[in-house]
Amino acid sequence: MPEDSEERNKFIKAYTAMVLSRTLDRKIVTSQRQGRVGFYTPTMGQEALQVGASMAMETADLIYGYYRDVPLMLHRGVPIETIINQIMGNDSDRAKGRQMPSHFSSKEFNFMSVQSPVATNLPLATGAAYALKYQKKKNIVLATFGDGSSSTPDFHAALNLAGVFELPVVFLCENNGWAISLPVERQTKVEIWTKAEAYGIKGVKADGNNFVDTYEKVNEAVKRAREGKGATLVEATSFRMGPHSTSDDPTKYRTENVEEGSEKDPIVVSEKILKQRKYVDDKMIENIKSRTHKLVEEKFNECEKISPPNPSTAFEGVYKNTTWMLKEEVEDIL
Amino acid sequence: MTEMNMVQALNSAMDHLLSKDKSVILLGEDIGKDGGVFRVTEGLQSKYGEDRVIDMPLVEVGIVGMAIGMALTGLKPIAEIQFQDFIYTAMDQIINQMAKLRYRSGGDYTVPMVLRTPYGGGVKGGLYHSQSGETYFAHTAGLTVVTPSNPYDAKGLLLSSMEYGDPVIFLEPKRLYRSSKGEVPDGEYKVPIGEAKNIKEGNSVSIITYGSMVPTVLNIVEKHKIDADVIDLRTLLPLDINAILSTVKKTGKVVIVHEAPRTLGMGAEISALIAEKAIDSLLGPILRVTGPDSPFPYRWEEYYLPNEKRIMKAVNSVMTYG
Repeated sequence: MPEDSEERNKFIKAYTAMVLSRTLDRKIVTSQRQGRVGFYTPTMGQEALQVGASMAMETADLIYGYYRDVPLMLHRGVPIETIINQIMGNDSDRAKGRQMPSHFSSKEFNFMSVQSPVATNLPLATGAAYALKYQKKKNIVLATFGDGSSSTPDFHAALNLAGVFELPVVFLCENNGWAISLPVERQTKVEIWTKAEAYGIKGVKADGNNFVDTYEKVNEAVKRAREGKGATLVEATSFRMGPHSTSDDPTKYRTENVEEGSEKDPIVVSEKILKQRKYVDDKMIENIKSRTHKLVEEKFNECEKISPPNPSTAFEGVYKNTTWMLKEEVEDIL
Repeated sequence: MTEMNMVQALNSAMDHLLSKDKSVILLGEDIGKDGGVFRVTEGLQSKYGEDRVIDMPLVEVGIVGMAIGMALTGLKPIAEIQFQDFIYTAMDQIINQMAKLRYRSGGDYTVPMVLRTPYGGGVKGGLYHSQSGETYFAHTAGLTVVTPSNPYDAKGLLLSSMEYGDPVIFLEPKRLYRSSKGEVPDGEYKVPIGEAKNIKEGNSVSIITYGSMVPTVLNIVEKHKIDADVIDLRTLLPLDINAILSTVKKTGKVVIVHEAPRTLGMGAEISALIAEKAIDSLLGPILRVTGPDSPFPYRWEEYYLPNEKRIMKAVNSVMTYG
């Protein structure tokens, strides 16, 4: 093994976040099948691209993500408990179980609260980027979304605005090939990254299965944004190895899939990269995996013991000062 | 005090806000060089710069979405949608982002902003420059909806809206932009959100109205010397329930006037609240004088808008009831 180098530490951190996310993913899906969790949108297959993108970001940069960004959050340092508590909607969840699982939020790590309607985070990201530019801050905004989002009016609006105002924002399209049942070939006639040209911003494609490639492409985009050179659309291609959500049966619409542990699995690809550079060996990989497994089991069990939030919290926090109507209605309900 | 019309009062409010606080940003279509199609933002871009009074590309979803993002990042945006009729592509942003961020983030993320838009008919604007869509917004938890009927309230409500801490939909009755005039303080003052105003006292009938119909109602009441208690709601969400109930208890007879279509208009909610909370005070049916359940027409808008004939018919009907 080589001496500890900055890159080695970075790569091991990246790999560990990917393994943690994959382990958590499996645990949540299994728990959903057992009726312990209500719903989930698995991230399996998108670990490398998200971690690669996260490596290029600072904590003070703002993330406007979507409902499949667990690896990115974990790599950013969001505690695993934050993820599990949200999924369980328990009393320790910041939003007290108001949102369905996969709709995370972490102000501490500048990860904007997640919405369901796809791509509606993108215009928000341009507003945030405008604010940062106006306030003369060096930080930038990363907005993530799936391939299906590229068809929406919000995608068009946001990229156009980012072009017009030369905003410090990176649009990261996590192209996993599927928008529920619609393959990307039926979503759009062209490669998504090429759409950047229409908005006068930079477009680039990354191998989303290779975290180093995604890191390099996103890092370049981040650098441009920080230097005031404007926005970039990065399309990172990967595979959605799981279903759209735990309520979805992909066998109805797709015949092929990337199997876990196969050559195209981004975790396997990442292991190869780390081994080639002699940053890890099989023993270390096993170590990381078993440690991670233990951590997930431990945290999951701990979080499961937390009681549900008080029902009254479901009707709080709508406004700074609650309305007389809601007070009256809640009195009737509780 | 200066005599102003509503356009000048709103301009004065925004001028004040921009001069006081560098985080105040205006964004909308044609609001900069052109000063807005109704001239509400006239002169503000040359005074405060293109980065603070932003001429936006023609994209309502982008204007609203961008304003939300600004509000989330420490700015205090006032966004303008040129006509309320054009706001619908931004409804996803308004309903699913703007209104829900505080709730869904456990209060970590809030959206202190104002979304201004002219609404209502009577300016020969046809189907797409005349709509009164207040119900769409008032039906959404997380929003606050206000509408002034005169220059004083316009400035005072806008100043209050900017300090409200939550998103405010600010509906401007475009028919009154220039026709409504009055004394307006030059400096800062507030018209509280959530408070209606009893603008004329009387004992025989309550007329509950808001926005563009207020001057119409006042003229008719004066002309016919009706002993009416007239309430200008000023805030549509949340309604001022105390003001509504106290006038009902005083007169026992209620006419509600608005130009939005009758079905599920504000009048429906007000009627239901009165029925639930003050039915024993009623001495007759609650009557609504509203726009009909049709699109807003171009050629015959005077038939669409509640007029003297229809308002008097309702007033006479409840006053002679029983």
